[in-house]
Amino acid sequence: MTACMERKKFLTTTSLLLGGAFIRTKTWASPTKKSIVRPPYLQPGDTIGVTSPSGTITLEEIKPAVDLIKSWGFAIEIGKTVGQKDGIFGGTDAARIADFQYMLDNPNIKAILCARGGYGVVRIIDQIDFSHFRKHPKWLIGFSDITVFHAHIHHHQRVATIHSKMCNSFPDDWPNADALKQDTIHSIRKALQGERLQYNVAHHPSNKIGQGKGELIGGNLRTLENLAGTNSDIETDGKILFLEEVDEPLYNIDRMFWNFKRTGKLDRLAGLIICGFKTMPDDPEEQHFSLNLQQIILEKTKDADYPICFDFPVGHQVNNYALKCGCKHQLDVTPTATTLSELFIS
Amino acid sequence: MAKKQPEALQAGDKVAIVCPAGQMDEKRIQNCVQQLQTLSLEVIVGNTVGQKENYFSGSDTERLDDLQKALDDKTIKAIICGRGGYGISRIIDQLDLHYFKKHPKWIVGYSDITLLHTHINRHTSIATIHGPMAGAFDSYPDSEYPSTIFPALMDTSLKYKIESHELNRIGTAEGELIGGNLCLLAHSIGSTSEPETKGKILFIEEVGEYIYSADRMFLQLKRAGWLDRIAGLVVGTFSDMKDTTTPFEMDIYSAIKKHVKDYKFPVVFDFPVGHTERNVALKIGAKYKLSVKSPSVVLKEK
Repeated sequence: MTACMERKKFLTTTSLLLGGAFIRTKTWASPTKKSIVRPPYLQPGDTIGVTSPSGTITLEEIKPAVDLIKSWGFAIEIGKTVGQKDGIFGGTDAARIADFQYMLDNPNIKAILCARGGYGVVRIIDQIDFSHFRKHPKWLIGFSDITVFHAHIHHHQRVATIHSKMCNSFPDDWPNADALKQDTIHSIRKALQGERLQYNVAHHPSNKIGQGKGELIGGNLRTLENLAGTNSDIETDGKILFLEEVDEPLYNIDRMFWNFKRTGKLDRLAGLIICGFKTMPDDPEEQHFSLNLQQIILEKTKDADYPICFDFPVGHQVNNYALKCGCKHQLDVTPTATTLSELFIS
Repeated sequence: MAKKQPEALQAGDKVAIVCPAGQMDEKRIQNCVQQLQTLSLEVIVGNTVGQKENYFSGSDTERLDDLQKALDDKTIKAIICGRGGYGISRIIDQLDLHYFKKHPKWIVGYSDITLLHTHINRHTSIATIHGPMAGAFDSYPDSEYPSTIFPALMDTSLKYKIESHELNRIGTAEGELIGGNLCLLAHSIGSTSEPETKGKILFIEEVGEYIYSADRMFLQLKRAGWLDRIAGLVVGTFSDMKDTTTPFEMDIYSAIKKHVKDYKFPVVFDFPVGHTERNVALKIGAKYKLSVKSPSVVLKEK
């Protein structure tokens, strides 16, 4: 603790001499909104509902997840969309709406774990009635296409949600699964049981040093881009934005970050967390895109005064740790490490 | 009120060819240059034609300068883009339209150029031409489609008649035309390049996207209120569409048809606009009448 305080004093003194160039501390006031509500944490014996509002999945594919979660002391209710298929979807739009609505409104279900991502939430979100959920919030868990729910619920219902792996990422053979896989799955349990989440990540040379506090919001970049202008759009002023992506070529990533910049989403952040970006190789008929991921992002944030970190362990990859979207966090990007800490409000 | 159409080209006028986005070999503009010269037009080839900088036809500054110079040159009466690709997003906010607003000229292009069209449509009262670019004359040397830009440039009122499609919704609509590449239209939403859509006839086209991705982008337009405001929908070609390992099991036209079922505006499918040979010139900002009937559909400039 002492070493920390001394370093901070040194940096503060330096910033006075250099006009604040070193320290970027951002704590913007969050506009209008009421405070984010954390749903009740889970107790032993509580029921978690499993549903598939996006892609199709079989009962067999979710079995490892079901078995493990039961071993944690929870009950599982498997929704009707598990085992259903309509093209790429886990059932027709109507079936997925009905299943999700049932999970939202059933008082016995204390958390909703999405079975997988894919695509499909935007086709149903406008038919979901969140009024019961607003009065009796519960945890919603998932990522990728589930980003739509995170964004929508954050904006409208102001309830915290969990951005994490889903059923389709639970290892088949739990006892022999590698430590990292187990650790990331454990992070879901920690989030559900009320542990304060804190992550320490290695420094990346492209990081922008600084500190910021704000509600955590984000998810899949393309999914978020395609919410612009709709009533599921995210507002990012005063928030810590985290972004991940998979299977997009660099020029698309560049285009999407231009959209974020040009829709004001990068202007008044408290912090920016760049997570896993698994880029698709360039089209062989086109030349290699001249900017790398860090350059793409840093050129659009060059006037920004908030901390930025890269390679945060979230995304379409094995190291995909749970994050409590909506909850206030502190992001510390120092020359040696990055820390993201959930701030508890009692 | 319809946008103002720039002056029609006349013999002796200068036309610039520039590449504000992707790179292309200079030889690819030759067919276009020849056709322009046949019409007694003088061709000015921009610096970005034939230039390569990794992905683009020059640095952002070079591409911006080339386009800006062509916009501000009072002797240049029309700008034809060489090709699309990607790159307009990176320069659009630095583009100065002051001179262009006072001295309009035709701008021709599609694909990535969609963002330039929507931006000009939003910020000026000037019509632009969504249509084949210089490279199209090289890609389809024997086709009549690239040449549809010439009547557009030379003050001819455009009229297209096509066969009806089984998914069409019968009806008529009148309104200003707006549209372009679906991905770029979605990309414009929420930014200063998002076009107004109230009372307009919207046309969309796409290439090389996953069906589910095109579905998602179309839904973004819907959820952003575009469909609540438009007078008619023209669905162009959706070519080289990709599918996921688990197939979507519906073609994109059928998916779009489903998404518009609760609206009343006329809808036409397979209109010849997009990334295939069948790509006709359309004047964004001009007033059109869309008549969707059987056995034919007419899109006619008013």
